[in-house]
Amino acid sequence: MAAQLFFNGLVTGLLLALPALALTLIFGVLKFANFAVGAMLTLGAYAAWVANVQFGAPLVGSAAIAAVTVAGAGLLADQFAFERLRQRGSITLLVASMGVSLVIENVCRFFFGNASRGFDVALSRPIRWQGVRINQEQITIAITVVVCLVLVDALLRFTPLGRAMRAVADNAALAAVRGVERRAIARLTWALVGALLGLAGVLAGLDRSIDPLIGWNYQIAIFAAAILGGLGSPIGAVLGALTIGVAEEMSALVIPTNYRQVVSFAVILALLLFRANGLLGAKAARK
Amino acid sequence: MIAYLVTIAILVCVAALVGLALNLQWGLAGLVNFGVVGFVAIGAYATALLAPYVGWLPAMLVAAALSAILSAGLALLSIRLEENYLAIVTIGFGEVVRLVILNEDWLTHGALGIADIPRPFATLGQAVGGDTVFIVFALALVALVFCLLEAMARSPFGRVLRAIRDDATVTAALGKNVFALRVRAFAVGGAVMAIAGALHAFYLTYIDPGQFTPIVTAYAFMAVIAGGRGSNVGLLIGACSIMALLEGTRFLKDFVTVIDGVQLSALRLGLIGAGIVLLLILRPQGIASEPKRRAADLLHDMGEDR
Repeated sequence: MAAQLFFNGLVTGLLLALPALALTLIFGVLKFANFAVGAMLTLGAYAAWVANVQFGAPLVGSAAIAAVTVAGAGLLADQFAFERLRQRGSITLLVASMGVSLVIENVCRFFFGNASRGFDVALSRPIRWQGVRINQEQITIAITVVVCLVLVDALLRFTPLGRAMRAVADNAALAAVRGVERRAIARLTWALVGALLGLAGVLAGLDRSIDPLIGWNYQIAIFAAAILGGLGSPIGAVLGALTIGVAEEMSALVIPTNYRQVVSFAVILALLLFRANGLLGAKAARK
Repeated sequence: MIAYLVTIAILVCVAALVGLALNLQWGLAGLVNFGVVGFVAIGAYATALLAPYVGWLPAMLVAAALSAILSAGLALLSIRLEENYLAIVTIGFGEVVRLVILNEDWLTHGALGIADIPRPFATLGQAVGGDTVFIVFALALVALVFCLLEAMARSPFGRVLRAIRDDATVTAALGKNVFALRVRAFAVGGAVMAIAGALHAFYLTYIDPGQFTPIVTAYAFMAVIAGGRGSNVGLLIGACSIMALLEGTRFLKDFVTVIDGVQLSALRLGLIGAGIVLLLILRPQGIASEPKRRAADLLHDMGEDR
């Protein structure tokens, strides 16, 4: 039982890792908490659903379409909302991201209604290994996320774009002096973050049914993961996501499963009280 | 048609109360609260549970006190945090309240909700007929809260909150206890949100968890941004007209047959989202900007867009 929950927790954690990474990257480069992560994840799930179910595309192709769609939405939101409000400080930006979140969520609701939907995938028998039940979906989720994380890590570490992103995150003014264009980096970051959220949406849609609140239901866990890792720290976000995933699933041993989401909230509160900077970096307390 | 107008008027009163509360917390004191709906729900449920036993006024006061205490507690835990963190903590609080209401059947009847909540002045209301008495009650409540909050905004307390919002470091250096003042602002806001919840419960006489979604929070933010942050008058004039328009679309479904109810509500909420973003970009000072008072007149460069 505990082993099964632990395994499920790791997969949930991997699923959370992508949006948590997306949140932390935006926070690092653009310096605000993007409350639209959940809604963008929802958009990704629906984009893939349309491609997969309505147009009969294979799931891999649908995932690519989802990534492109959400990247596009991110770029649009950046161009028409966030960039114009950049000078107004992070509170305005985070309220604006809440507005963007409402728009995206309700565009999905307008076209697809409140009904639950699922991808057109063949049912498959779970594998048993050492008494732990492993679903095909869980394997897909784990492999996809690990590949994505390796790619993003390589991108941040070794490519000029990654270096530029880290430079802007570290000190935008200094980066500008060295000829790194903040605006271009911001756009590329949104594209990358959108792609990650789109994929996360597809994986979430594999894990549970797709409805307009699918992303919102992950929202607090995503934030808990990113805060746990220290907002702005990519590796921290991944570690935080794994911790939150395991903590949420394992909590079933001690509290009713209805209250699973409370775990994330409790983790955020405890963390902010006792270690306000997260596990790796980032300052939370104000002056 | 009259029934529609009455409903809209009451919903606008509820929205105005929530807006006034958020205007104190966010507009005046600069504290983001994304968990507005949680406090409204606490107010509604506490009132609904107590009113049959102790009468409407004590129930409402206890609800307000309870919400103020919880609000102060949350503030004590999290208000030192930078706004990004405060925002997520308050969202989390709202979700926890929702989960508790949904799952603690013995207290809240879960998804079934609570019915037969007694209205204030019910006998008088029946004697006069219709919702006339209740509307007067709702308007009086809004007027009372408005006067209290406006007096507060003009008092030294309001002044120092604005100072904290604009520059907490300077205010602290002037010897003000920034932490305690922020907690107090948050607690007062929480109490007013609970009163809004009580009014909501009194009007519908039936509450269930489905009535308290994050949309309530979005409405409140829209109201504050539209009205002009920090300006209670702006909130009442501007926000009420916008709320009335938005609420009015609720009844469009009787006339428009091309789109169904779900689509209509999606459209309404999407418009609120778009409205929030557009107003922030195009008219950050809102319909009526915060009145600048004497000292501020001398210091033109003090930014008020923070």
